[in-house]
Formats: sequence, C-alpha cells, structure tokens
Amino acid sequence: MAVGDAVAVAARNVDPMSAISPQVPIRPSDRPSRGDRIFRGFTVGAAMLALVTVVVAILFLANEARPALSSTGLKNFFTSTIWNGFIGQFGILGVMVGTMIIATIAMIVAVPAALSMALFINEYAPRKVGRLLTSVVDLLAALPSLIFGMWGRDAFQQKLVPVARWLSDHLYAIPFFRLSAEDVVLVRSSFVVGVIVGIMVIPIITSISRDVMAQAPRDVCEAALGLGGTRWGMIRTVILPFGRSGIIGGILLAFGRALGETIAVALIIQLTFDINWHVLEAGGSSVAGLIAVRFGEATPLERSGLIAAGFALLVLTFTVNLIARRIVKRGQIK
Amino acid sequence: MSTHLDHDQQHRTNESVALAPQHLGPAAQGASSLTATDVSCWFGSRQVLERCSLSMEPGKVTALIGPSGCGKSTFLRTLNRMHEVVPGAKIAGTVELDGQDIYGEDLGVTEVRMAIGMVFQKPNPFPSMSIRDNVLAGLKLSGKSAGDKDTVVEESLRRAGLWNEVKDRLHDGGMSLSGGQQQRLCIARSLAVHPRVLLMDEPCSALDPISTRVVEETVIELAHQITIVIVTHNMQQAQRVSSQCAFFLVEEQKQPGRIVEAGDTATLFTNPKDQRTLDYVTGRFG
Ligand SMILES: Nc1ncnc2c1ncn2[C@@H]1O[C@H](COP(=O)(O)OP(=O)(O)OP(=O)(O)O)[C@@H](O)[C@H]1O
Ligand SMILES: [Mg+2]
Repeated sequence: MAVGDAVAVAARNVDPMSAISPQVPIRPSDRPSRGDRIFRGFTVGAAMLALVTVVVAILFLANEARPALSSTGLKNFFTSTIWNGFIGQFGILGVMVGTMIIATIAMIVAVPAALSMALFINEYAPRKVGRLLTSVVDLLAALPSLIFGMWGRDAFQQKLVPVARWLSDHLYAIPFFRLSAEDVVLVRSSFVVGVIVGIMVIPIITSISRDVMAQAPRDVCEAALGLGGTRWGMIRTVILPFGRSGIIGGILLAFGRALGETIAVALIIQLTFDINWHVLEAGGSSVAGLIAVRFGEATPLERSGLIAAGFALLVLTFTVNLIARRIVKRGQIK
Repeated sequence: MSTHLDHDQQHRTNESVALAPQHLGPAAQGASSLTATDVSCWFGSRQVLERCSLSMEPGKVTALIGPSGCGKSTFLRTLNRMHEVVPGAKIAGTVELDGQDIYGEDLGVTEVRMAIGMVFQKPNPFPSMSIRDNVLAGLKLSGKSAGDKDTVVEESLRRAGLWNEVKDRLHDGGMSLSGGQQQRLCIARSLAVHPRVLLMDEPCSALDPISTRVVEETVIELAHQITIVIVTHNMQQAQRVSSQCAFFLVEEQKQPGRIVEAGDTATLFTNPKDQRTLDYVTGRFG
C-alpha cells in the first residue's frame, strides 16, 4: 500500500514532457503452466516430425534420381517422350501430360457429381435418405483402389465403350474427342481410367464439401429464403460462398489423389510414352501408373529414372496446391 | 433529413406499385390485409401456439407483445411461411393475404415471401457480400429488376437510418458493421424489394435510441402504404408505432401460447379487458 502510494506520488512528479513521449507497444506475455509447456512441446515435436519427414523424403528422392537425370540430361528429361532404360533415356513429357489428362478427366467427372450429391444430401433429401447416403459415401471412400481397378478393367470399361463412341460422334467439335481412325480400340484409354479414378474420388469431395456446407449459418440461409429466394437461390448466395474454400480444399485433395493414383491406372491403361491427345483411344500413361508397371523389373538405372519421374510428380502436385491456395485467397472478402 | 424522407416517400410510392406482382390481385394497389385464423404451431410433437386468430389491417402497424418464449416469433414466422423452414415444424389454421390463402395452391412459397418481407430477430446479413450487395440481394434472389441500383441502395439505407454511416464504405463487407448497423442493413435489405407486408421481429433490440427513432419513423411512414407487423418488448415502442396490438401469453408451463387479447393499442394499454394484459403492460407481471 505504502509502496504503491510512493509510486503514485513519484509518477505525478515526473517531467511533463516524458508523459507524452511515444509509447512502446508490447504484447502482454504469459507464463504458461507446466501442463501447457509439456503439451506445447508435444505439438512442436509433432510439427517438426512432419517437416523432417518431408525434407528427408525429398532429399532421398533427389539423391536417387541423380543418376538417371545425369544420364538423360535435365532438358531431355522434361521435353522428351522417349523412355528407354537400356540406353538411359528418360523423357517424361508424355507421362506428365498423361497424368494431367487423367486427373483432369477425373475431376470433370467427380466435381459436379460430388457437389450435387453433397447438396442433395444436405438440402433436398429427407433426413433418413440423407443419412443413408452419407454412410454409403463413406463406405465408398473406404474401398481400396485395387477394387475399383479390377471392377473397371473387368466390368465397367466395356460399359464405357458406347459412351466413348457417343462422345466421338456428337462432341466432334472438341478435338480431344476425335478418333484417329474408324476402327480404333476404345478401352484401356485415358478416358476410361479418368472416369474410374473420378468415381473413386467422388466420396472425398462429397464428404468434405458436405461437412463444410452443413456448417453454413442457418439464420443467414433463412434470410435468403425470407427475401423470396428459392432453395437454389439460397445455395448460390449463402451456402456455396460460405463453403467455397472448404470445397476447393476437398477438390484439391481429390485432385492430388487422382494425380497419384497407381493401381487403378496400372491395371487398366495401355502404357505409352507418347502424348496421346486422343483421350478416348487406347493408350495413355501416368507417372504413378508407370512406376507401378515398371518398378519391379527395372534395372538400377531405370529405377533411378522412375524415382526422378516420381519426384517430378511431387513438384507438380505441390505447384497445383500452391496455385489453388492463391485462388482461394484472392476470392476472400475482407 | 425529413425533407429527404418525404421526397423518397413520393418516389417509392410509384415504384412499389410498379413492382407489385400483377396476379396477386387488385389489392396490390393499396395496402394489403393479412388475416390469421386459428393458427396453431408445433415443433415436432410439441405445440407452442394454440388457435391464434388475428386480423392485421391494411396500412396499419400491428404490434405483438408478450413475455419471452410465448410464441411471438413463431406466430410472425407463420405469416410468411418461414415457420416451415425449421425441420419438423408443423402448422394448422389459415393465413390469408387479401383473402388469398398463403398456404394454398394458388400461391408459391417464394411469391408469398416476396410479398411479405421479414426482418429477423438476430441480424443476418450475407457475410460474403458487400453492404451494397446486401441491400440488392433480395432483388437478385427474386429476379426482380432493380431499376437504378444506386437509387435503390441509397433510398433503402436512408429509410433504415444507416445511409450516413455507410455511404462512404458501400463496398466493405456486410460483416464489418456493428451489430446494430447490421440489423439496420437487414431492414434496408427487406425494404429494397418493396414488400406489401413487412414483418419485423424486435428490429430495434440491438439499436441505440437514435437509430431506434429513425427505424420507428420509417415504420410509421411506411404504414401509409404497407402493412406492418412488429414484435417488440418495448411497451413505449408498441404505443408509439402501432395502432393495433396483440398480447401473447403462455398461461402455464409446457402449455402452448395463446393470444389473450387483441385490439386497439390505446385501449389495450389503458383499458384492457383482461387482468393479465393489464399486469403485463403496466409491468406488474410475474
Ligand atoms: N427451432 C425451434 N425448435 C424447437 N422449439 C422452438 C424453436 N424455436 C422456438 N421454439 C420454442 O417455441 C416457443 C416459442 O418461441 P418463440 O421464439 O416464438 O418465442 P418468442 O415469443 O419470440 O420469445 P422471445 O421474446 O424471447 O423472442 C418457445 O418455447 C421455444 O422454446
Ligand atoms: Mg422472438
């Protein structure tokens, strides 16, 4: 008490000039408790572990890829479509383009289907139906891709032949859907693989976007309805903008999955190293599929080439993520 | 300020006639009447309103008063079919807009809500939209043409008493406003579509006295052309703005709410028929 008074008196006696000297802003600090410190230690450790794993994996891949890269040359690696393990030629252009083609087809199939499904479950379906559909979707997400691959190869791909035929007949205006000859084979194509991978990733997008959109504030939804909006109007003005970044996140996750899908591609595709823009025709490729098909019997040098290709896929995925994150950020309102 | 409002008033009258849906009948020319008959409401199996009948006369302000939880908001929401938005909510009875059953086959639910606007108890601007877009949202949602958008925005915001605070930041997000400002934004948003009836659920509960006065003035002024139903906990406000009044009450715990008494506001506040009404309006309740 007495000390406090003394300080107060002293404070009143200070030079008036110093009272208006600029203040230094600080952030109040807090001494965390023991429990807090321990928990903090764990979280920091876990975060570091993730970081270290990524760095180690990257270093490993880079190191393993070196022999192939030096044998084929960096420029050749990215621009050539010739892949020959015996002469040490590893051009991944065709494979990279093939990967993008398959993943793009997969997204064209999956995104509209998944978003419609999510909206149907949340906004239109009776509660019981919605709940049933949710568990079916979750079940689908748990199916191993091997199952999809086998189903696609042995059963579904034949069903897609008429679809491919139809596309080539009616959407002739789109160059990708043109056929190079009358009697080409319409199975084992990028189209078939893309559709099957698309079906595979539908549950990912559905379940993530459904979760996010279900969080849309109900009272704001009511505002849209109360103004005479239709249900679709409400979805457009409230639910989609609200779920936007979450939906894009889900799509990205699925896209990454489609880029890296291995078994389904390996089982179905007829592997080529050229760029095949005729997506409906047999012959295509993807990095992951290539690795799955070749890794077992590869010479050490080709193995190194395959790892280099895998490394390139990693960089591609990373870039796609980065770009998408930019897009998400740009659209946010202050 | 007041000359401004008068000017806007003139302007609005012409427009509201032009915008009124043609097929809703000749009464669209003047104000509309809204009549609820034997309205009962349920949430799931729990009944919260029992046989409420109330006639809301054209061009007048009707106030709904009563203690918390007695079903004022629920009743209000049956008047523009918002009650059914809640899963499991049910309703019995009829509500007629100018003699036309709003729950009937002839009117679509979106038409009903376009004609009968609503300001909710909790401010709910669209978070992804700017202030300006919030005001225009109703026009966009209902597919009406706005005429000159800037005029609509300014006029609606002025009526809601928000214009001066936001005129320089119309492109900021709707959520960047304070709670009371958000509520006035929601009022402006409802006014922009020129409804024939406006339902307001405690529109001033988060407002300071000055904004409250602006909103009350708007309510009184609007009542010349449209029918207004307002829920309020403020007895002075009910007396200031309304000419008719209905008193809701849950008589016993777990019982549904009922309308104890309805009629002329002045009579209800000075010489009510029911003792419970007198107790409530004089603050001797409970
Ligand atoms: N969504 C809902 N689900 C279930 N019950 C509800 C729901 N909304 C309201 N109720 C119940 O209905 C009754 C009436 O509620 P209502 O919101 O109409 O009261 P109110 O008169 O508007 O009260 P207040 O003055 O506090 O706003 C309350 O008992 C409440 O518990
Ligand atoms: Mg209420």
